[in-house]
Amino acid sequence: MFKALADPSRRLLLDRLFERDGQALIELEEELEMTRFGVMKHLHVLEDAGLVVSLKRGRKKLHYLNPVPIRQLYERWMDKYREREVSALLDMKKGVEASA
Amino acid sequence: MTVETALATQVYQLYIKGTPERIWEAITTPELHAKFFFGAQIESTFEVGTHMLSWSPDHEQIWADNVIEECEPPRKLVHSWRSLYDEELAAEADSRVSWEIEPQDGGYCKLTVIHDRLEGAPKTAKNVSGGWTFILSGLKTVVETGESLGPRP
Repeated sequence: MFKALADPSRRLLLDRLFERDGQALIELEEELEMTRFGVMKHLHVLEDAGLVVSLKRGRKKLHYLNPVPIRQLYERWMDKYREREVSALLDMKKGVEASA
Repeated sequence: MTVETALATQVYQLYIKGTPERIWEAITTPELHAKFFFGAQIESTFEVGTHMLSWSPDHEQIWADNVIEECEPPRKLVHSWRSLYDEELAAEADSRVSWEIEPQDGGYCKLTVIHDRLEGAPKTAKNVSGGWTFILSGLKTVVETGESLGPRP
């Protein structure tokens, strides 16, 4: 996922989908001044990373942002930070109580 | 294009380690459903055309009265959606939620949740957009560990 987010063109694609979710390849192509092949390639990387999901809607294939992986990332790191805070507080408690 | 229109279809996808049957069970069994859906108490036979009621944990308040539109265990469940937990949201039009479970290699399933037909429910769209990621992370935790994710941070 980090590799997928590391590329500025791919972040731009995500920004476009954030502004208007559910776009076809041709719409993204027009907005980005990128070749169709380039947009396809980047969308493929974003889909592999789970950040974008494509769905058949009628005859069109539309691309949607998938916020779940970013949420999972948040939970993973925020939980770690919280654990650290808690353990720092526990250490402080031990220190205060020992010197009392 | 306004933000409201952009949110008319919302797509959430994640991989869960477990069989389709296990994931289906978590979505449709009241005790397991409550573990990942803010404690909601659901009541439904899941027959097409019947209602799926959702109550607050203390059974005092009705949170949702949705109609089952499609039910193909353990692969697909489609139901209407109207948020009754808030007056403003309850006044908006019905939208639709689809759950699709696709088994993958390696004992995983791909779960795709699509909340669409939100054109007539812009406030609902905004309200649920943060909630789904939390609910689905919780569902993953319930299926994989049997535990609930805990209260929302």
